[in-house]
Amino acid sequence: MLKTSGIPTAEDLAVRIPPEERRKKGPVVMIECFQKIPCNPCFTACKHGAIQKFEDINDLPEVNFDNCNGCGLCISKCPGLAIFVIDETYSENEAAVSLPFEFLPLPREGEEVDLLDRSGKIVGRGKVLKVRNGKYEDRTPVITVAVPRELSMVVRNIKLGGDVR
Amino acid sequence: MTKSKTIICRCEDVTLEEIEAVIEKGYTSMDEIKRITRCGMGQCQGRTCRTLLLAELARATKTHPNDIKVTTYRPPVKNVKMSVILGGMEDEENS
Amino acid sequence: MKKTEIAVIGGGPAGLMAALAAAEMGARVTIMDRNSRLGGQLVKQTHMFFGSEKEYASVRGIDIGKVLSAEVLKNPRIETMLDSTVIGYYPDDGVLGVEVEEKTFVKIKPEKVIVATGASEKFLPFENNDLPGIYGAGAVQTLMNEHGVVPGENVLMVGAGNIGLIVSYQLMQAGVNVKAIIDAAPSIGGYWVHASKVARLGVPIMTSYTVKAAYPNELTGALERAVIWQVDDKWQPIPGTEKVLKVDVICISVGLSPLAEILWQAGCRMKYVPQLGGHVALRDENMETTVPGVYVAGDVAGVEEASSAMIEGRLAGLNAAKSLGYDNGKYDEKRREAMEQLQNLRSGPVGEKIRQGLAQLAL
Repeated sequence: MLKTSGIPTAEDLAVRIPPEERRKKGPVVMIECFQKIPCNPCFTACKHGAIQKFEDINDLPEVNFDNCNGCGLCISKCPGLAIFVIDETYSENEAAVSLPFEFLPLPREGEEVDLLDRSGKIVGRGKVLKVRNGKYEDRTPVITVAVPRELSMVVRNIKLGGDVR
Repeated sequence: MTKSKTIICRCEDVTLEEIEAVIEKGYTSMDEIKRITRCGMGQCQGRTCRTLLLAELARATKTHPNDIKVTTYRPPVKNVKMSVILGGMEDEENS
Repeated sequence: MKKTEIAVIGGGPAGLMAALAAAEMGARVTIMDRNSRLGGQLVKQTHMFFGSEKEYASVRGIDIGKVLSAEVLKNPRIETMLDSTVIGYYPDDGVLGVEVEEKTFVKIKPEKVIVATGASEKFLPFENNDLPGIYGAGAVQTLMNEHGVVPGENVLMVGAGNIGLIVSYQLMQAGVNVKAIIDAAPSIGGYWVHASKVARLGVPIMTSYTVKAAYPNELTGALERAVIWQVDDKWQPIPGTEKVLKVDVICISVGLSPLAEILWQAGCRMKYVPQLGGHVALRDENMETTVPGVYVAGDVAGVEEASSAMIEGRLAGLNAAKSLGYDNGKYDEKRREAMEQLQNLRSGPVGEKIRQGLAQLAL
């Protein structure tokens, strides 16, 4: 339960998962924002008219999935770190999940990592495909990781590695 | 909860047990409790314990916190060395 | 005696915005802060802020602090006094007593005062609540984010409001293990996105739990174990539900209480409003209290988010300057804009508590 554990239920997620036909076409955004809070930078960040203008700043974000090309520019701009991009077409058996990751050390591209679900539980192993950590990301690096296809809607984090101190 | 080990005022080491004991004796204003126990008279001038004491008094006397008279807030709001104040006076004489 | 048109007490988000807004209108401002730098709590906020672009959404608090401080410091109409604590307000002659660098005592007579002193942390009564290792969340942030020191290895966070959730996340970023976040309330008080962020790091959030006791290591005397237990819907602990956590840090984040001493001294009419954190001053929509010329902004006016504190500051600054006859021609527009922004920030479901609180304050 979101309001008691911070973990969304399948029911919560159902309204946020992009339609299957759209997922079959390539990378697409999934905004895991479930609470009406006064916030709208996802709209400001979207250059493709996918994230709709807010009538009221407290509204939940609305996505026009057909306009989304999965660029992921919104990921590092969400103050709640609640935006992910899912590409279920990455390979025959794998999906690529892009997620915000503000921890050191950052994984290296090509590195094998433990994949975590929304409760932080290890659910499998995956390979880091890309680490975006430029001026645009501004200290909210975006990690793209290849995950077993069936875990595309499960994996939302990778295990922290090493001693940061 | 071991009330003798539950601190209400950290600066002056006043416990919940002591607060309850003085309320039991009939001291039910923040001012009285402050004077008797020194709760709120330490280094931080009550910034930590004031809300705890208010809550405890509200509970014990079944009073809404809004109806409990708070202690008087006098300057200085923090510990100040006498030399600082005296220095200021000197400054005034000179100017 | 030093004179100024507008004295702003506190250089946090509300005070900085108040000083900038008043100076922009044309007034001469003196801003005072007890720290040796401006920015207040913004300095510790490494997370991105919510809100809209106008409220610096998506910008980290620490960066907002830098931008606003720099603007204040370079503004020729604003005088900044650092290491300066306002230790008293003497209403009979409208004089502020300021301790500077713990060395000198300066008296200032302003025409208007904007009190933006912020809030202090609430504490929690439980057995052995004074053991070494028990901190307020603000203290932990200061240690880590200002001084680069971690408080310990394993933390129990008490309080699942935004501060508790954010500090838990920062602890994890610093390589400190957060064993659990507990809250006596039946549901998470902070934003769910913050909760989800720590949940996917594997940190359990346990609602309807409170601290029963803390126990020390026999040799060192420092915190070694925390005992938590469940509370029922009337907030009463349920015997038999105790759990023991091996932690060397308990971080208390159970809310803030307005730092209103100066307002009490000024003689402002105060009211206890639990939704706003404690005793707050009654004020009108211009942020002016019942004492003419004394304005409030930010957490001291009612504990809320930093984004609304900034706008309250702007509003207080605009109105204080206007009351002195300053207007650069944009007063009406800026005032209306600020009021609309506040309305927007507070109009959603998460603003309900604030709305209930503010309804009790109106003059």
